[in-house]
Amino acid sequence: MIEMLLILFAPLIGGLLYGFERIVRARMQNRQGPPLLQPFYDMYKLIDKQAFIVNPYHSILGIMHFVTLWIVVAFIILGQNLLYVIFLHLLSTIFIILAGFSVKSIYSHIGANRELLAMLAYEPILIMMAVGFFMLNGSFDISIIREKEASLFPLFLLFLAYLTVIPIKLKKSPFDATEAHQEIVGGVEIEFSGVFFEFLYMAKWLEYIFVYLLLFLFAGNNILLATALFLIVFLLLNLIDNATARIKMNHLIKIVLGVGITLGMCNLLGLSYV
Amino acid sequence: MRLKNLSVIAFVMVLSALSLGNIFAYGVPFEMNLPDVFHNLFIFLDAVVLLYFLWQGILFKHSYVILFALVQMLLYGAVMLLSPSVVSSDILVDNISSVMYLVINIVGGIIIVFALEYIESETFTRVRKNSFIAMLFFFLAVMNFIVSTNNIEIFFLLFELTTLCSYVLIGYRGDELSKKNALQALWMNQIGGVAILMALIFSILQYDTIYFDVLITNSEPLYLLPIVFLVLAAFVKGASIPFENWLLGAMVAPTPVSAILHSATMVKIAPFLMLKLFPAMSGFVSLTVTLIGTFVFFSASLLALSKDYFKEILGLSTIALLGLMMALAAIGTPEAITACLVLIVFHAISKALLFLQAGILEKSFHLKYVDDIDGLVNRSPLVVFFIIIGFASLTLPPFGAFIAKFMAIESIAGEIHNNPLYVFALIFLALGSVFLTLLYFKVMTKLFAKEADNKSQYVKISKYYTIPSFLLLALLVIGVYISFEREFLSSLELVVPLLLIAVVPLLFATLLFQKADRVKEYNCGEKDEIQLSMYYFHMPRNVQLTISVLATLGMWILVLGVLL
Amino acid sequence: MYEKYRKKSPWILHYNAGSCNGCDIEILAALAPKYDLERFGVINTGNPKQSDIFLITGPVTLRSRERIVELYTQIPEPKVVVAVGSCSCTGGVFRDMYNVEDGVDRYIPVDVYIPGCAVSPELIIDGVVKGLDILEQKTKEMEKPFKLFQEATTKDGITSRRETPLRVGEDNEKN
Repeated sequence: MIEMLLILFAPLIGGLLYGFERIVRARMQNRQGPPLLQPFYDMYKLIDKQAFIVNPYHSILGIMHFVTLWIVVAFIILGQNLLYVIFLHLLSTIFIILAGFSVKSIYSHIGANRELLAMLAYEPILIMMAVGFFMLNGSFDISIIREKEASLFPLFLLFLAYLTVIPIKLKKSPFDATEAHQEIVGGVEIEFSGVFFEFLYMAKWLEYIFVYLLLFLFAGNNILLATALFLIVFLLLNLIDNATARIKMNHLIKIVLGVGITLGMCNLLGLSYV
Repeated sequence: MRLKNLSVIAFVMVLSALSLGNIFAYGVPFEMNLPDVFHNLFIFLDAVVLLYFLWQGILFKHSYVILFALVQMLLYGAVMLLSPSVVSSDILVDNISSVMYLVINIVGGIIIVFALEYIESETFTRVRKNSFIAMLFFFLAVMNFIVSTNNIEIFFLLFELTTLCSYVLIGYRGDELSKKNALQALWMNQIGGVAILMALIFSILQYDTIYFDVLITNSEPLYLLPIVFLVLAAFVKGASIPFENWLLGAMVAPTPVSAILHSATMVKIAPFLMLKLFPAMSGFVSLTVTLIGTFVFFSASLLALSKDYFKEILGLSTIALLGLMMALAAIGTPEAITACLVLIVFHAISKALLFLQAGILEKSFHLKYVDDIDGLVNRSPLVVFFIIIGFASLTLPPFGAFIAKFMAIESIAGEIHNNPLYVFALIFLALGSVFLTLLYFKVMTKLFAKEADNKSQYVKISKYYTIPSFLLLALLVIGVYISFEREFLSSLELVVPLLLIAVVPLLFATLLFQKADRVKEYNCGEKDEIQLSMYYFHMPRNVQLTISVLATLGMWILVLGVLL
Repeated sequence: MYEKYRKKSPWILHYNAGSCNGCDIEILAALAPKYDLERFGVINTGNPKQSDIFLITGPVTLRSRERIVELYTQIPEPKVVVAVGSCSCTGGVFRDMYNVEDGVDRYIPVDVYIPGCAVSPELIIDGVVKGLDILEQKTKEMEKPFKLFQEATTKDGITSRRETPLRVGEDNEKN
């Protein structure tokens, strides 16, 4: 029952998280920032706007992106297979990439292209993370991982690798070249407007939920540790976001893939000797 | 004319029915010995085939072909002199063979039906058109035999016959390029023949047998040379890097040939041979083969990113997936074997579907390069639908290839405990699967590109082209149903993505967003015409060289490691 | 019921129609931490398709006319146009020059005029907040850029200098 409610309200929780984050970021810059419910005001406004579309495929693929992402979050909450969840998340990313390429717009194409390259960087790390959990717990099932002890310390290097993935997924500096608002005006989301943009906006909130739910896996059954991890990562993420500049796409790939694969490999090798 | 087509279709149906009957009526492994007349006939045929190769080499002044033909003759003579004593049955039909029959006859048969229409639009004489179909059937026959034989000598003959078939079919157009690529395919495949003969000699010397089952049950971990040479032959047939050029060169042939080479026949010998050999592999051999296989999976998909010829992209992805199949077969846990079989079946169906679409693109739209298929959805939604299903079935849940990849990761992850070096296999697998996805969607994105105000101009496609595609689609659906029955994944995990994938085209068909206002793309307020092209990944020459060198090195390590 | 939320989430598109950059810097100053326009929910989207408020600076040079109209048509209704600075209100010091159209309102309907050279950030905030009230009252019905159409060459007594109305995309319109 609780799970069902969580799944139902997942976008709303993500929205609250996003609103809270905007406040935190504003406070870090010594300003007041928007109200907590700002994302929902945006949402209501977007429903009311006139809807412009470029072509039907584009809009539908955007909606499919949102729906698939919601299913991904639902599967995590229900405790399904972790590897499967990661591949399904890949599918949702592919939907948005297809949408980006389906319009004849320069920025949309560049954004989709960068999204593809970013996927190249973080997907192997996510798979390695799943394998790390498998080696430790003997199962890919999230429900089993959640019942076991906290795996933060045996998987610490993978955890560090995962930390480099989070800014890419949440479009945070220094790894936000996929969105790059000042440079390519939002990338793939540029051609969406009105109610169709709202699906992308909500998908962004779901992305938050997805990332933090995966983070909680490192804490296992230890709720205290999960909360601590969430707070630390949340603050660290916004601090780094405020303090660093965007890096180029090719550097992003080199850094994330190089650091991530090395760390992940070391961790897996270490696990195999234990 | 009509009669010929009807008889071909009827024959394909009979073959399919027989292969289906075989899998349902399956009980104990079927064993049989062939009379001596046949053995003498096989020796005669062997001699004829090798002489033919030699003749072709001399005719076209190709030194490699001559060299390998001579080497094979020499080795074959040596094999003839030796007389092994341990005997077993010549024909052995087991579970794996039954699955291979299904792939060969049903998928191959559908491709032949497609070829009926395709070959009509070529400019051959009537005799050559008919003999093309006959050649394809002969290919199927050889493949059917090769998966049921247990005798390595017969296996060698059939191996050479598939080489012969591919040589003739690749060179079928008869122009300069076809001849060149056909000869390349010939000499590379002859390396495989040499490897099999070496395996035969070592097997006779050490184990005194020429039968697979005896060799596998009796093999000692310290003397695995015959196994390793057979594995090398598999790598050659599977066009693994560094032998990938023959399969890529095969693209010049008529499309049904590429389709049948890639999906149902020829290259599938490689994973089949691995599946036969895995019980005899020691830890070292298994690990090395897995590493080479996953490395090929990774590097072939990397190389494919820089290509723009539609069939070449498909070819490299075939090589990649074959690498994965061989790696899975080499791991040899029950889960990995299932994954390998699932991958063989689904890869055959998906690749056949995609190659048929490549043929349609070539014949109906005169398109060959990915860059030109821009906005194909406006001209033929049906072909686009098939291409998308084809690519989706190679990457996404709930299709078999996804399940296989999923199980591959699981089984490799399970092996890391035994040997930490499997971590590298895992990394290659993870990177390779992402590259492949990148590759497929590079092509797919091109299909959708549509401007804000574009009128659709549909192109009619012949029934003979669409019906085989629909048949393959039906096979895919049946495959999904079977994986549902066998519970590879939970039903939730299967149904949800299926719904998603089914809903997308449905929404496309029904909701056209009539009410929403159309607007042009954002272009900073400018109105200049923009021309958007495909993106490419530049692959420096030295990267390609490094990959080839590494793969070759891997094979040498395999041979030397066993020798020492 | 949605009307009141429009006021709470105005997203901005900023376009420089030949400005001297004075007003643009002030707009950025208004968005930056000191004046913190974001506390009203303002985001500078840079993308017409997701914007509500169109901030225009500069006297509208001949080159930028088509772009303004194009961007304006790409903003979904309801939308508010704010002319920032004396130049975009009336042409300012550039009025009656050969290469400028005097003010934005010759091409698209303007809702709020913010005079000043350069405008102070406080005034910009006031103007945007004023624009929010107008945004709340607007309906989804289309407002057309009137200079594009033959019958509307004059409006409010202001006549275009051109004899024929401007048609977007016409070849001879390229200067």
